[in-house]
Amino acid sequence: MAALTLNTDRQLVRLFSLLPLILVCLVLSIVGAQANRLADISPNVSYVSPNDMQRGALLLKGKEPGKFVEAPVLATDVDIQVTGPTGRTRVTQRFENPGEGWVEGIYVFPLPEDAAVDTLKMVIGDKVIEGEIKEKVEARRIYEEARDAGQRASLVEQERPNLFTNSVANIGPGETVIIQIEYQETIRQSNNTFSLRFPMVVAPRYNPQPTIVHTVDIDNRNGWGVIDPVPDRDRIEPPVQHPDDGPINPVTLTLSLDAGFPIDRIVSHHHEVRIERGERNATLTLKEGDVPADRDFELTWTPEEGSEPTAALFRETWKGEDYLLLMVTPPYGEEAQTAPAREVIFVIDNSGSMAGESMPQAKESLLKALDRLKPTDTFNVVRFDDTHEVLFDTSIRADRENLNVARRFVRSLEADGGTEMLPALQAALNDPLNDTSRLRQVIFLTDGAIGNEQQLFEAIVDQAGRSRLFPVGIGSAPNSYFMTRAAEMGRGAFTHIGSEAQIAERMKELFLKLENPAMTDLRLVWPDGVEAEAWPTPLPDLYRGEPIVLSAKIADGTEGTLRLTGKAGDDVWVIDMEISDEAPNRAGVSQLWARRKIASLEAARTMASGGGADWDAFDKEITEVALAHHLVSRLTSLVAVDKTPARPAGEELTQTEVPLNLPAGWEFEKVFGEPDAAAPVMQRARAGAVRSMLAAAPAPMMMADASQTQGIALPQTASEAPALIAQGIMMLLLALSLLAGWFLWMKRSSNGSLFERRPSFKWRW
Amino acid sequence: MRITPTFLLAAALGLTALGGWQLGQGLYMDAKAELAQTLLENAWDKSKQTGKPVKAWEWADTWPVARVTAPRVKGTAIVLAGASGEALAFGPGHLSNSAEPGADGTSVIAAHRDTHFEFLKDMQIGDAVELEAHDGESHTYIVDDLKVVRADASGIDPREPGKRLALVTCFPFNTTEQGPLRYVVFATAEEDLI
Repeated sequence: MAALTLNTDRQLVRLFSLLPLILVCLVLSIVGAQANRLADISPNVSYVSPNDMQRGALLLKGKEPGKFVEAPVLATDVDIQVTGPTGRTRVTQRFENPGEGWVEGIYVFPLPEDAAVDTLKMVIGDKVIEGEIKEKVEARRIYEEARDAGQRASLVEQERPNLFTNSVANIGPGETVIIQIEYQETIRQSNNTFSLRFPMVVAPRYNPQPTIVHTVDIDNRNGWGVIDPVPDRDRIEPPVQHPDDGPINPVTLTLSLDAGFPIDRIVSHHHEVRIERGERNATLTLKEGDVPADRDFELTWTPEEGSEPTAALFRETWKGEDYLLLMVTPPYGEEAQTAPAREVIFVIDNSGSMAGESMPQAKESLLKALDRLKPTDTFNVVRFDDTHEVLFDTSIRADRENLNVARRFVRSLEADGGTEMLPALQAALNDPLNDTSRLRQVIFLTDGAIGNEQQLFEAIVDQAGRSRLFPVGIGSAPNSYFMTRAAEMGRGAFTHIGSEAQIAERMKELFLKLENPAMTDLRLVWPDGVEAEAWPTPLPDLYRGEPIVLSAKIADGTEGTLRLTGKAGDDVWVIDMEISDEAPNRAGVSQLWARRKIASLEAARTMASGGGADWDAFDKEITEVALAHHLVSRLTSLVAVDKTPARPAGEELTQTEVPLNLPAGWEFEKVFGEPDAAAPVMQRARAGAVRSMLAAAPAPMMMADASQTQGIALPQTASEAPALIAQGIMMLLLALSLLAGWFLWMKRSSNGSLFERRPSFKWRW
Repeated sequence: MRITPTFLLAAALGLTALGGWQLGQGLYMDAKAELAQTLLENAWDKSKQTGKPVKAWEWADTWPVARVTAPRVKGTAIVLAGASGEALAFGPGHLSNSAEPGADGTSVIAAHRDTHFEFLKDMQIGDAVELEAHDGESHTYIVDDLKVVRADASGIDPREPGKRLALVTCFPFNTTEQGPLRYVVFATAEEDLI
């Protein structure tokens, strides 16, 4: 018996020395099972690019199954003239119909969010037709009548302040129609860097699925009643070109810059450019000639040291009134000695639209910001896709331990799912501590690829309280209208990070704003007896390095001294400015004034939510200003009609949308999912995107649907349950044998009974 | 590496925890699949009475759209809208990009091979499949083809003329791995066969 025990023990010991090997095998088998799952998903990914799809076969599905319409081909030329603090841009779009039938092209295109669109020209052959400004409804009626009568017509409408559509009716077979759109904008300035952005692509927006409200008293067949948060979703969701089909919409761009001061550096951030430069001016062209419209063009320039302008004044006389454009950078003095204590809430978007280059950029920016926190600060982190998660119960001290927890959390984030921004924003603005000894700052890292801006603005207005909102736009095509407005309403500042290379510099600028007291209580004092209408009203708070940009309308020939006052921390400062009749004249100043007035009225209209709000009064005023200054707005559109009928009666007209490129760095599969009902991993988010996308085009849809040849894709139909159960049982058996081994071992080393060795052991209750 | 009793005990406990968790997860998934069908029965009855989609539970993001029955092999299940992973955990899912259940075209219904569509492996050509659509009307299909296909090349065109049904599950049946192959039972409406 003793011999037997000894023998068994030795065998056991030998067995246990094999233990590490067994464990390794077990781990490998689990990894193997996971790898199998991955292998299962990958065929679906490659499935997206069917080889039989020819380049250029960009077809849109027609009204009847099996019939296709060739999409109009579009080329864009952009000509930008920058003079001092204003820019005028002419966008020329050439629509070409390669097909056999008559088509109506609808092109969705972005413009800077403060663009004052004032000119539309339609060129057919050698004829130029000027567009007229009309109220939106009337413009649409004129356009539709012309379209139905077979006349060539063009209509430019604003969908969002930074998103426009151009509809062109009756482009004949093989015909080309040229549309020119012109707009005015102000040049951005921050910390002595001047910048201009020309957006080239509309990022597909995540439109939250309609919320299910109730099921009674509605259509018997499909049942659900909805309140749709994106009432115009079908208008802002053009078809998107799959990247494998090659980029479309080539763009050429030239820019002439007359800075008004000696230029030090000119940088094009996302495109290679050829620059010819003088001391104060420069001409730029894109190096590659024409580029696909898949990333925004961004140019910054800085003045030579010692010649930084701190003020600018331009004037225009228009219809018997004078308009001013005024820029002042207040003196900021030394950096603040003691930074105010802060409570910082970081919100990071890890939705599917952030996949690709954006997610690492957002993470790195956030990690950098975490490094800047001082132990006296408090902080919290919120992440969101179609769900959201708050890291700590409430804001906690930024000590090393907590920061490490946050860093790990941030590093582990992956981009997937939809973009339900509202709950995350509300969670971040919720301020239960109300610790007024600290500045409360919400830093919001996102691409803003959402369509329910209005809902979010309302949340900011209602719930921001003492929190300041600092949106950080990530990626090659962030929704800068949303972010600029959100920053304005949240009394913070907007930072745009377009590429990896910009992170360090842009985040540094942001930290400067975050860690120094803002300029508050800005006031304008006009000379006695001068009646002036100045926008924006009220003046926003300023952060370190930002200038005040002001537009005003005054009586013709007014002169005098304008006084600006404000507070930086506890210091009060005053700037006096001479308004002289001699100020340089600049065309377009009046339109910038009108554009800013419209923006301010739109903002006031949003803020005036609630019962007694008189939205009609705002709308009436906006319409009046827009019509008077020939501007496209939410309520007015430009329409051009060539009275000569072009399409013979009886020929049919087909409506097609011009497909868009996906912004550079976006992953098609993450945004739209794999085609059809592929692996159900992120079905919920994707289903929303794809389905509403397909529903978007009234008749045509995109042809990336490969079911023609390969058949419908089938979902994963093996659950993990059997594998889990089998592995679980295996592990439990192994654990049991180990336990037996341990028991025997203990028994052996205690010469008999295991329990005799520890007589002092007793249960205590 | 020296093996000490403490290490052995720790490894045993660790494995117990991990194994217990995995077993629990697996059993939980199966139980969920079972239980959900009971809840879905109620929702389906209500939905037929009212003629409107009824969710089986408050937070469900799908709802019953049909019932599929294979009388000979005694298999039946309530079919849910959509074939997302979440829907498939509770019941067979109707692929939203295929034809409506009971309508013209090919309607595709997929389910897990270890639970709701376990009965597919016993089906034979000539078997009847009953499908009850959301309007309460009953449709009879006859199985006319059994096939193994790749998930990404199913060859099923939902717009093909004719009223057809495709019941899909994973293949092969008796493994625990998730693979790229699918087993499809094709059936054609009785009235189309005459």
